Amino acid sequence: MTKILLAVLALVAAPILGALITGVDRRITAWLQSRYGPPILQPLYDVLKLLGKQPMLVNTWQALCAYVYLVGAALSVVLLFTGSDLLLIFFVLTIGAVFLVMGALASPSPYSQIGGQRELLQMLAYEPLLILVFASIAMLTGSFKVSAVFELSRPMLYDLPLMFIVLGYALTIKLRKSPFDISASAHAHQELVRGVYTEYSGPYLAMIEIAHWYEVILVLGICALFWSTSFVGMIVLVALTYLAEIIVDNVTARLTWRVMLKSAVGMGLVLTVVNMLWLYAQ
Amino acid sequence: MLDTLVFVTVLLPFLVAAVLLVLREQNLRKVILVATAGVLILSSLAMLRGGAFIMSPAPLWGSLVTLGDFLILGVVLLVGLKRKNQIIVWLTVAQIVGLIWFDFFMIKDHGSTPAFFADDLSLVMVLVVSIVGSLIAVYGIGYMKEHEEHLHLTTSKQPQFFFFIVLFLGAMNGLVLANNMLWMYFFWECTTLCSFMLIGHDDTEIARKNAERALWMNVLGGTAFLFGVMLLYKVTGSLSLQDILARGPEFAVAGGAILVPMFLLVFAGMTKAAQAPFQSWLTGAMVAPTPVSALLHSSTMVKAGVYIIVRLAPIYAGTYFSNFVALFGGFVFLATACLAAGQSNGKKILAYSTISNLALIIACAGINTPAAITAAILLILFHAISKALMFLCVGAIEQKIGSRDIEDMRGLFARMPRTALVAVIGILTMMLPPFGMLMAKWMAIESAHGQFLLMIMLALGSGVTVLFWCRWAGLMLATPFAKAAPEAQDGTIRGPLYLLAGLAVVLSFFSPLVYNGLVAPVVAMYYKTAPYVLRFGNFESSTGVFLVYPLFILLGLGFFFALRQTRKITAAQAVGPYMCGEQTSVDGKPGFLGPLGQNVTAVSGNYYLEQFFGEAMLSKWINVIALAVLVIMLFGGAL
Repeated sequence: MTKILLAVLALVAAPILGALITGVDRRITAWLQSRYGPPILQPLYDVLKLLGKQPMLVNTWQALCAYVYLVGAALSVVLLFTGSDLLLIFFVLTIGAVFLVMGALASPSPYSQIGGQRELLQMLAYEPLLILVFASIAMLTGSFKVSAVFELSRPMLYDLPLMFIVLGYALTIKLRKSPFDISASAHAHQELVRGVYTEYSGPYLAMIEIAHWYEVILVLGICALFWSTSFVGMIVLVALTYLAEIIVDNVTARLTWRVMLKSAVGMGLVLTVVNMLWLYAQ
Repeated sequence: MLDTLVFVTVLLPFLVAAVLLVLREQNLRKVILVATAGVLILSSLAMLRGGAFIMSPAPLWGSLVTLGDFLILGVVLLVGLKRKNQIIVWLTVAQIVGLIWFDFFMIKDHGSTPAFFADDLSLVMVLVVSIVGSLIAVYGIGYMKEHEEHLHLTTSKQPQFFFFIVLFLGAMNGLVLANNMLWMYFFWECTTLCSFMLIGHDDTEIARKNAERALWMNVLGGTAFLFGVMLLYKVTGSLSLQDILARGPEFAVAGGAILVPMFLLVFAGMTKAAQAPFQSWLTGAMVAPTPVSALLHSSTMVKAGVYIIVRLAPIYAGTYFSNFVALFGGFVFLATACLAAGQSNGKKILAYSTISNLALIIACAGINTPAAITAAILLILFHAISKALMFLCVGAIEQKIGSRDIEDMRGLFARMPRTALVAVIGILTMMLPPFGMLMAKWMAIESAHGQFLLMIMLALGSGVTVLFWCRWAGLMLATPFAKAAPEAQDGTIRGPLYLLAGLAVVLSFFSPLVYNGLVAPVVAMYYKTAPYVLRFGNFESSTGVFLVYPLFILLGLGFFFALRQTRKITAAQAVGPYMCGEQTSVDGKPGFLGPLGQNVTAVSGNYYLEQFFGEAMLSKWINVIALAVLVIMLFGGAL
């Protein structure tokens, strides 16, 4: 029963919270760039407006892909909040990501194509990192279940500090924040336009936005697991992490996908191995 | 009843094959093939209902098997001499001498070992061979007709072709049901010979070359198999697989002696499953007509290799050797997934993905926990269905568009809507939850979580896998908004495509039942515990939980709703692809208005990341490392 309540809560609260976080993100970014910035609720207004627009599509696959992306993202958040299996959450998250790319590739537009291809490279960079983080958590707790994390007596951050950095790296890639806004970014780039988002418009773009909010909540929720012992600790950790993300986003320029792949895999492997050795030594 | 079933699944294909060899009447061949497929499917299901059994046919059959052994070895030797291939000749001579010594001087109690035995693992294999294999044979009817029309042959070579295809099915059924290791050796050699003949079927320069390579690699495996069986007999004094399995743990505890024959048999399995450094025979096998590739990659041949490795797993459980098998599997899984990502040839992508998935099965056998063995068996089952489906799709596509390059499949949906959709379903069942392949992969990764190096390789490998499947599925759908023209296709091609696609989805939905009925009992039999508890059809263990039905229902509902919404979209809502405001269309192909008012067609291609995943760059290193692991496996694990 509590699980169903939690599921409904996650389903309803996550996108709203995600929208607010995005709004705050935009304000802080504006402040860092000496601008005034939009109201905090602006992302919500945008999406509501988009939802009211008439659908325009290159082909029907895009509509299908937008829906499935949303379903996959929402489902993965529900699974996280109901304390399910970390690896399962990851795989369900992949469903959404795969369909987003399939939708982009389903249009012959070069911008959409290049965005889809680059998004695949982003996935190639962050997916192993996420699995490594989950595997390390499983090494520590002996189980892939989210619920097992909450049975720990002290925050995971003490035992897996380097894995938190790996997670941060994956987070930057997953949220397409600079320097890894390679497949698409919040603002248009000359050679990319909106990359993987280019061909989605109107209500379908709104769905993609909402799905993205779910994903923001999911990755922040996974960050929160690293301070599972206290609620305040979770909030502080997540807030600090996200603030760091925003600062990184603002002070770095985008890198090429080669640098992203090499650095993500190389750094991820080294940090993981060091952290695991340290865990063994303890 | 039992006699009949074993007769039908093993011997009947041999007899039907002989009839097909002399029969030149097209329609009759079609009837016989479809009827045989039906009988095979029904009898494999009946055999499944009957459950485990042991059976000894009349002693005469034992002599026939011995005769068959020498017959096959003789044929292989002749081929080796004709092609002047030293490796084949010497390895075959070694086998002949070894077999004479073994058959006539070493074995004391001829005939006392039951020839056949089946537990749930064998029965699952019989199902895979009989159902998937038969569907591929049926598909072959329509495919070969078109294939030969295309080649303008004066005399049809179909009698030979179907002779070996059907023979192959019988040999595979025999192999997985064999209890007597010598019988298994006979069927093992049968599959080697059949695959050689089928790869070389088109008799082109490249076909002959690749068939020869397949033959020498598999003869090497066959030699390892024979000497493995001889050593096994020396250590255990038995030829009965069931007996050896039952007493396996005591041998493993008693000392390393049994690990040497185990290494040889596992090595034989690895060559048959085309693991690095022997992957080139399977990638070369794609020169054969598509039904052959489908058969080799899904239900027969390579599955025989992993079958023997999984079958023997309880004997080497808990040894260093087992750990090395796991590491080897993990490495090849990652390495060949990378190779697949660097390819644009559809059949080659499928080939490398097969090798990669087989390596995952081998890794599971090496991890050797109840959960890992469950994963291995489920992978064998689901991979056979989805991979057969993918090959048959590529075959149908190739006959229509004249290319197997995935770049040429852009917008395939406009030309072949049904086949493209079936192919997309096939791809989704390969890489996404809640389908069976992914569930098995989940089990594999979770059961590897204690071994971190292995874990890292599995993590990287799964990331790469998503890359090459996803872009393939996406680009097939790149079409302008229009109603696709209906597609004409032979019933013998369309039928197997639909059946396999349906099977891939439906069987995934019933995976809890499959697990309960087929996998859990056999795992519990050899490992004393069942790895997962099923609660409301969800897989649960102390390390994790996989929700089958909630995922199926929620994702299914979402998908259904999305489909309904997309139906409502009208042509009025369709726009052309975004070309920065300069879009034009030439002959229905989207493009943009370039400099000087020229129309430029928009062209795009995939990233193949040659500098990371190029075959020329990676293959050499992969082979060196795989060989090194094999050597360490022998000296560090087995000796």
